Amino acid sequence: MGSSQKKKKEKQKDFQKAKLKVGKAKPKPDNFTDTSFRSKAIVLSQQSLNTAAPSTNTQFSHHLSLLSSKSDVQRKESLAHLTTSIASRPVNSPLPQPVSAILPSLLPLILDASNGVRTQLLKLLRTLPPSDIEDHVSQLLPYIRAGMTHLAADIRVSAVETLSWLVDVAGAEVVSCAGGWIKTINCFLSILGWHTEESSKWSSVGRSTFGKSGTQGKPMIKVLQTLGEFLEAGIGSPQDISMETDSTQEETADIFSAWQFPICHSAHHMIPTASAPYAYLNLFGQPRDEDGEMYETREDRYRVFSNRFMKAVQLGLENARKEGGELGRASAGATKVLKEASAYGVGP
Amino acid sequence: MVKRKLGALEKVEADLPNLQHKIRRDPKSYVEDFRAQHFQYESHREIFMAAPSSATDTGIISLRDLIDFIAHVAECYPEIVKEFPQQLIDMLTQHHLVLESELREKIVGSLMLLRKKDLLDSATLLQTLFPILISTPSKTLRALLFQKILSDLRSSNSKATNHKLNRTMQTVLFNLVTSDRTSSKGLWAVKLTRELWKRQIWTEAKAVEVMKEASLSENEKVIVGGVRFFLGGDQERQDAEDESSDEEAIDVARIRHVVGINKKTKKKSRAVEKALATVKRKERKKHNPAPLNFSALHLLHDPQGFADALFSKHLQSSKSKLNLEQKLLVLQLVSRLVGLHKLHIMSLYSYFQKYLTPRQPSVTSFLASLAQASHDLVPPDVLEPLVQKIANEFVSEASAAEVASAGLNAIREICVRQPLAMNETLLQDLVMYKKSKDKGVMMAAKGLLSLYRDVGAEMLKRRDRGKEASMGLRSGEQKAKRFGEQEAGEIEGLELLEKWKEEERRKRRLEKGLASDAEDDEEEDEEADWNAWNVEDDEDSDDSGGWIDVQSEGEIELSDSEDEGGKPPAKKAKQGDSDEKQQQGDEEEDAQAQEKKLSTLATTRILTPADLAKLAELRAEASVNALLPGSKTRRTAQSNSARHIDDPLTAAEIEGLASLSAGKATREERIAHAKEGKLDRSDHKSTTARRKLKKESEGKSTTNKEKARRKNFLMTLGKAKSKGKRSLVETRAVLKAHQERQKRGGKRGNKG
Repeated sequence: MGSSQKKKKEKQKDFQKAKLKVGKAKPKPDNFTDTSFRSKAIVLSQQSLNTAAPSTNTQFSHHLSLLSSKSDVQRKESLAHLTTSIASRPVNSPLPQPVSAILPSLLPLILDASNGVRTQLLKLLRTLPPSDIEDHVSQLLPYIRAGMTHLAADIRVSAVETLSWLVDVAGAEVVSCAGGWIKTINCFLSILGWHTEESSKWSSVGRSTFGKSGTQGKPMIKVLQTLGEFLEAGIGSPQDISMETDSTQEETADIFSAWQFPICHSAHHMIPTASAPYAYLNLFGQPRDEDGEMYETREDRYRVFSNRFMKAVQLGLENARKEGGELGRASAGATKVLKEASAYGVGP
Repeated sequence: MVKRKLGALEKVEADLPNLQHKIRRDPKSYVEDFRAQHFQYESHREIFMAAPSSATDTGIISLRDLIDFIAHVAECYPEIVKEFPQQLIDMLTQHHLVLESELREKIVGSLMLLRKKDLLDSATLLQTLFPILISTPSKTLRALLFQKILSDLRSSNSKATNHKLNRTMQTVLFNLVTSDRTSSKGLWAVKLTRELWKRQIWTEAKAVEVMKEASLSENEKVIVGGVRFFLGGDQERQDAEDESSDEEAIDVARIRHVVGINKKTKKKSRAVEKALATVKRKERKKHNPAPLNFSALHLLHDPQGFADALFSKHLQSSKSKLNLEQKLLVLQLVSRLVGLHKLHIMSLYSYFQKYLTPRQPSVTSFLASLAQASHDLVPPDVLEPLVQKIANEFVSEASAAEVASAGLNAIREICVRQPLAMNETLLQDLVMYKKSKDKGVMMAAKGLLSLYRDVGAEMLKRRDRGKEASMGLRSGEQKAKRFGEQEAGEIEGLELLEKWKEEERRKRRLEKGLASDAEDDEEEDEEADWNAWNVEDDEDSDDSGGWIDVQSEGEIELSDSEDEGGKPPAKKAKQGDSDEKQQQGDEEEDAQAQEKKLSTLATTRILTPADLAKLAELRAEASVNALLPGSKTRRTAQSNSARHIDDPLTAAEIEGLASLSAGKATREERIAHAKEGKLDRSDHKSTTARRKLKKESEGKSTTNKEKARRKNFLMTLGKAKSKGKRSLVETRAVLKAHQERQKRGGKRGNKG
């Protein structure tokens, strides 16, 4: 057949000797391997070689920039480095960089997906000097609120922890900054599932919310404790909350009132101590609605709270108390604050 | 504390699409979760608004995802998301310049989604999107916005025309075009209007007004856009309509068949229902009367003013920056307006003077425009120099044949519209070219000759007039029209209707056994007419619906001779005057009577819808008959009047005859010409191979016979061997089995 003939020929071809010709290069064998190579070199004209190690300041800013790294291990380690460098600095020396420069890169990490990063972040926040934090509360709060309503339960819990720290550090600012009162309470209610009477009626404590729940029971306790602290800061009866601030102010007021007319008001004519004393005028920002408004006095806060949230919170706390156990105890703290506040009423 | 059971939901990793799905199924139970996500969105928005440009991806859930999520389930919680649309609008309008592109697109998409869910009204949406469309520097965003705006306008006009929305949008576009005439932003108005015009969503004068303003703008692009709309918008609209009616012809029988065979699933049955519904809708649409759409040129409010402005602004003024091509477009529009509305722009004709030389680039377009701009109310002394110039420049023995034929053709086209533009000596001169050796020139000259045989035979030399014209001249029947003379208006084909009625009456009378000529009582007749008021009621006219009786030639002649012999229609009118009048009256008198008869029908009685339907039918019949071979004179008359007044005259028509005089075609041209009509045959193949290819391309498989033929030879060997050794009984059994199988229709059979 034709094809077999062809095959035979092809086979024979393999064994035929290649003819050498004058003036032509010797043909390469079939199994010839090209072993030639070309080399390329990367030449660095200059190398930054320093005999001295980089200063702590440059290291600090380097690690600050690493906070937006893709790898969570990297983020966590950078945070740890920042924490140690802040904590180990000489007493009373300023921070390597001002808080206003550090915070913008820290804030997104409140919503970080990795657990370790968030715990490390909280540690770092705790090392920051409280007096510097007070001015940046309004920047911090939106991130915390976003964390509190996050789908992932772990993020919710750590956001609550962050809030608890913030209330501890700058309670008065938290409750009085724009949107800090109503919006944050709304977040609390949504995290606890107390929002409408309907939903709190049916569910057990910590109505199961959509999403992966964290460790059982514990988060609710944490949330309730933080709620207690938050309410304490917001509408706690003035005797026990700001002992130092208010009482001293009152004392001075007493002193002033003893004096004649122009001098007795002199406290109002002094240079204000707050960083943004006219923030409530909202001269440069977006117009605010009721939720985003600033509630600067306890009276305002209490009025809003009793109008909108009192009933839901009371009902929720009652249910939590009925659960008993650790949860009940945690709810007792918040209940106590609430009772004292309502006993004190709108104010003197 | 009792150990709480974990719901299935809590075990899975939480994500927004999952939650979205759950909310869709049971909005009430997930209200808390939605509220939480809404808070989440609010906080993210707050973060975003504090620094819009540095919108980094915050954590695992971004603002984009949240916006998407909320937009998708917004209809479940209208109370909670009350402010959501407004927030999106604010975000987009304030920060569209610095927004990250993905987020920007998501916001636009979400707004469209909200519009679809009716949480946002069209006017607000368009007022948001349109300003961004004309101001944003991003090309992708512009494309997206244009598409979205268009689709929104379409969808809000899909059920019924949304007049309010259309009006506001048109006003916005109008203001855009008129506010700043030098900017190119008006192009968006042009694009949008043209697209909507094409889809027949906007068909009113206001849209035309927008385009009018666009063509009077000062930006070249906008001008050209506007002018092109007037020149081609209506054609485009018609094409789009034809296309949409052509496409997707659904074969119902095929669908039914396929459904019977394939696996039955819900999805497929739904598809079938949908297909059937579309077929039904199409059927209904077909029966509906076609929407009456005026062309843009007719909807102009002030054509004279518009044409004047166009001419003085873009053509006459020395400041105009248009190039020749653009100027030609404008000129075409101006001349079409002049021809269509019979406007007077005297300076237009002197403007042409400069361009009428054979060396002028694209001179045929100028010639076509000039012909288009002439109509019977243009003073002949304005046109005469132009005709003279064309004759001098183009038509001479020395000039090339194409040039001469183009010139002659142009002169003919001008003279069709205004016959008085020609003087006697020039005409006789030009007619001489019918003796030209070049075919193109000869044909063009003959065209001119035949035109003047109809409209001005006395200007021709006696021997050129031809039989009919000279007879007409002698009898005084054919007279040249004077300037400004108008034909009396009449209903086209009315005489046909009258004749038909007469015949019907005669038939009826014959049936009754009365004399066909006698005057009968009109009332009875009229009563019958009123009974048959509607087209639907009228059985006679209905049964012939859709078909037109094409009479054979002989029949036509028969009816002609009948007319000459009996003259019943003429008689009827005359009998009213005097019964005793003699039959063989003067020809002139007869013509008078004919005229009188024409006017009677329309003036003495009301035409019923049935009458009008019949009239249309008769007219169609007559037009078909005229096209049949035989009556030559009728055919030429037809071709002269066949051109609709709306159709433009193109340069190609002026050049038309030049192709005849182009000498011998090259070999390539001849080959191309020969190939024109044939199918695409890239390679030589047998018919069978072609058929097979066709079958394959249609997705059909091979027949059993083909399969048998293709079967591997070795596989058939065994059977072939054993076949020879079969006993008679075995052979019988095999044959029987085969026969059985055939009856059943193959191994598997036809049933079950």
